[in-house]
Amino acid sequence: MFALSGYDAFLGFLLISAAVPILALVANKLLSPKSRAGERQLTYESGMEPIGGAWIQFNIRYYMFALVFVIFDVETVFLYPWAVAFHRLGLLAFIEALIFITILVVALAYAWRKGALEWS
Amino acid sequence: MTIASTTQLICFAALSITLVVGAFGVVLLPNIVYSAFLLAGVFLSVSGLYLLLNASFVAAAQILVYVGAVNVLILFAIMLVNKREDLSAIPGLALRRVLSAAVCGGLFLLLVRVAFTTPWALPGPASIGEEATARIGEHLFSDYLLPFELASVLLLMAMIGAIVLARRDVYTSDVITGEPADQGLIEKARTPLLTSKP
Repeated sequence: MFALSGYDAFLGFLLISAAVPILALVANKLLSPKSRAGERQLTYESGMEPIGGAWIQFNIRYYMFALVFVIFDVETVFLYPWAVAFHRLGLLAFIEALIFITILVVALAYAWRKGALEWS
Repeated sequence: MTIASTTQLICFAALSITLVVGAFGVVLLPNIVYSAFLLAGVFLSVSGLYLLLNASFVAAAQILVYVGAVNVLILFAIMLVNKREDLSAIPGLALRRVLSAAVCGGLFLLLVRVAFTTPWALPGPASIGEEATARIGEHLFSDYLLPFELASVLLLMAMIGAIVLARRDVYTSDVITGEPADQGLIEKARTPLLTSKP
């Protein structure tokens, strides 16, 4: 039995947001004039012409950002129930959560110190 | 106000179909980028199933961690790998396929048998809906406090380990010129960004 409340609006929102890209692509397909090879087939008609393929190797530093992001993403999952039950838990839980965040700030400081967050 | 049972059934069917078709696409599509994006779709469907089972916190965690983080990591790993290569055919491909099909089919049959023989428990205590997340928070900050704080230490260790591994220096060198060679993913990390500043 479904017991969560307020998900009817969520379902409607989900359907509408799924329809937006589909409608955009279909309308584009139906309405746009068809003809003229060449420039029209480029990704950006009025910009620079793309050179080479799209399959290029990206720099490892992007992976570092992703790794740091994963750590703080998991932290968010732990803080989420604390935020929901914040009013019930009181001061002690606040201090506990502060300890949790402090330990992770150490991780952030380490990443910062080692230059994992820099963009050069 | 809750979703009526018909809507619920339709949602379940749609989610299941999306999940199964997406999972087949992940395995069967030749382009690895399509597989990665379909995997995100599979994770989203799974979170939808959690939502249908009144587990809103698990659904949120599924989207946050799996779609938001794990799948992004997979996509980044694909982007970091060089262009697609022409792989040579593996010897004995047919035999390997038959063997893996036998293993997978056996596992599938086992799962089907488990699904049909398990006496699925009838609804026990009534579901508490949105209250569940607050209840998880209460438990997390009272009787599960130590695991909660240890989790932050674990995350700290994971962060340090990731950085240490990623900024490992290169010891391999080019055979002909003798210069250090950029060979793998990790070794590329010795660009100025990731070396420690003196």
